[in-house]
Amino acid sequence: MTSCSNNEVRRCRPLLGTFVEIAATHDGAINAAFAAVERVQRQMSFHDAGSEVAQLNRYAVDGPMPVSDETYEVLAWAWELYDRTDGVFDIAVAPELMQWGILPGQAAGRPRGRTRDIALLLGRFVQFLRPLQIDLGGIAKGYAVDKAIEAMRASGATSGLVNAGGDLRCFGDREQQVWVRHPRTSGALLRLPALKDAALATSANSYQRQRRRGRVICAHVDGRTRQPVLRSFSVSVRAPSCLVADALTKVVLARGAAAASVLGQFGATAYIVRPDNQLSYCEERTA
Amino acid sequence: MRNVIQWVALPALVVAAPCYATVYHTVESAQQACFPEATQFASAGVKLSKEQMRAIEKDSGVRVRLDSQRVWRATKNAEFLGWFIVDEVIGKHEFITWALALSADGGVQSVEVMEYRETYGYQIRNADWRAQFLGKKHGAKLKLDDDVKNISGATFSCRHITDGVKRLLSFHDIMLKQ
Repeated sequence: MTSCSNNEVRRCRPLLGTFVEIAATHDGAINAAFAAVERVQRQMSFHDAGSEVAQLNRYAVDGPMPVSDETYEVLAWAWELYDRTDGVFDIAVAPELMQWGILPGQAAGRPRGRTRDIALLLGRFVQFLRPLQIDLGGIAKGYAVDKAIEAMRASGATSGLVNAGGDLRCFGDREQQVWVRHPRTSGALLRLPALKDAALATSANSYQRQRRRGRVICAHVDGRTRQPVLRSFSVSVRAPSCLVADALTKVVLARGAAAASVLGQFGATAYIVRPDNQLSYCEERTA
Repeated sequence: MRNVIQWVALPALVVAAPCYATVYHTVESAQQACFPEATQFASAGVKLSKEQMRAIEKDSGVRVRLDSQRVWRATKNAEFLGWFIVDEVIGKHEFITWALALSADGGVQSVEVMEYRETYGYQIRNADWRAQFLGKKHGAKLKLDDDVKNISGATFSCRHITDGVKRLLSFHDIMLKQ
């Protein structure tokens, strides 16, 4: 058994393409939390042909399709984020990611649809009004963390923490010390202000870039320009939910300081770490 | 009153962590987590011949590094529940001890990480390299927390474990299937 302070149990499983670590005061809460993450993985994986996302990508352009509450909720969040970021955050960038070889498969032609072309209909039905393909890689991990926290609360836990490959959230009385990886060197860590009942997610791409046909690409796409967002700094966002934190890291990565007003709308704060260790954060103040 | 948006510089506390590790499970606690109803775990360590290693590689498409495997038979009284296998995978920076539980019919029942270690040997032992970080702290006293947890930011993919599961399923088919 492992343990850190306060008789906390920590467990780790390979899920969502990364390592998901869950800490709580009892095993029952941890098992419920892992089950919630596994459910989100089954519904929202781009890779798994049986997932709801894969089914939507194949058939939702032909007519309305029923989806689970969870997938519907994530699509509704994606819609709101698209709207409030003027299209910078767009889940319909799967064709670009496939063309760059970051996602498997081949885009049929170049579907030009956007998140705004996804119709969220009554009774949890979804239809794509133009040909488009979605990838929830930018928010599903954060959402899985939120569902895991919800499951822990429902099972009676009074505190806990979930860290899905760097997207993390905690609840309970205790302040959690959090660290962020240096954007260039993963062995160096910077300490961020402690977290309490909040989520933190980080995005960076200076060590996950690839060169493809003479072009440098990465997993982050600016929804407006459809171009890769190549940045030397990393962005961490603290927000009330991990889905919002996860999504907004991509928006700040793409737009920098111009994203500040969006952060305010979601009750979020951003931290930027530059390669020379300059750490700055964005906040909205009443003057 | 109006809201202004500011970018504020923060003092940065930087730690160059040459290695950090988390132990999630001992063999016993992982066994218990995978087969809570089991009454006995009988060790059945398996030694592989060169031919068997090649056969597993061919079947799984994954390289077999070691010629032995730590395996236990889980039983409840006399009833066979499944296999509990402890394995190790090594990535670029990380070293992971993990356990695979297979049901009696050979299906994957659970995967648990037992120990996760990250090491940045060369880079971080290099004094010049360290200096570039440690010189930058702004007034903050540097104290390496002996327990660095809750790290945000790019973590590693779990592909090595996915490959490990494939390899152990072939290992089961070739060596354990009854």
